[in-house]
Amino acid sequence: MPKLTADNVEDILRKGDSARLPDKVSAKFEPGQQVVVRNLNPLGHTRAPRYIRGKTGIIDRDHGVMIFPDTHAAGTGKSPQHVYSVRFEAAEVWGPDSMFPGRRGAIYIDLWDDYLDRA
Amino acid sequence: MPSEHSHDHDHSEVPSDLALRVKALESLLVEKGLVDPAALEILIDTYETKVGPRNGAKVVAHAWSDPDYKARLLADGSKAIAEFGFDGRQGKDIVVVENTEQVHNMVVCTLCSCYPWPVLGLPPVWYKASPYRARAVRDPVGVLKDFGVTLPEDVEIRVWDSTAELRYLVLPQRPAGTEGLSEADLAELVTRDSMIGTGLAKQPGAGGTP
Repeated sequence: MPKLTADNVEDILRKGDSARLPDKVSAKFEPGQQVVVRNLNPLGHTRAPRYIRGKTGIIDRDHGVMIFPDTHAAGTGKSPQHVYSVRFEAAEVWGPDSMFPGRRGAIYIDLWDDYLDRA
Repeated sequence: MPSEHSHDHDHSEVPSDLALRVKALESLLVEKGLVDPAALEILIDTYETKVGPRNGAKVVAHAWSDPDYKARLLADGSKAIAEFGFDGRQGKDIVVVENTEQVHNMVVCTLCSCYPWPVLGLPPVWYKASPYRARAVRDPVGVLKDFGVTLPEDVEIRVWDSTAELRYLVLPQRPAGTEGLSEADLAELVTRDSMIGTGLAKQPGAGGTP
């Protein structure tokens, strides 16, 4: 890792840190499709929040191919794959006690291909 | 923090555990030759004085004034934001979501504190704290109420949980009665919270809020 110095810090801040990858990987899903979040409970790092595991949603948009954090954090590779914004209705997530009382509400969560199955 | 640690004493006399941890980390990074202290000064100055929510306010005011720019912003947030020269860490893949008469958007990171730095600067303390992170997805109506915002019942609420490397910016609704305002005057109405979705843009002549 290069040393962070007064000369390179501005450049490093400006260049940023996109997780986007150039790999050509086909998407498993497309907008409008229904998906269910796998009930995965790994001991290591994951970005599938516990509150959404096992819930059904609809692919809202495809963000493209990015690094998969679960394998990247474990040191077993970037596993390039598509990330989607998935829409979950409030009632699907919170049940009849949905805390969006009396109105339409939804949660949009960014999820990777490996977290999802076709519903 | 150990449970026997009581809080009935004044922490201003002794640095807090967090401050001590930060100091220890800083010493380690400097002693191991990974970071030059001068670089840290520039880094802190960048996010204290150069990058902050005024950047986002300029983007929003321009989107309110120029329909073509708004279309570009909603189609590719990062690219349109870079037209202002705002770019960099925690902002390579910004998605802009638009508030309308029918839809109110609100942003959270339930896993940590993901936030679009180039347009909003560093996140406020409450954004990183557990109560906001836990409640925003479960009780957004209550959270909005705490922020002094009540929305009509027919407005759909969409909460965006930034679990990946995308960063979300809310394009607030342009307040009514601002038709004649310049872009600079419009930018004054755009608050930080209105771009997180925990607030609305100010009415002309209203007082200051975050």
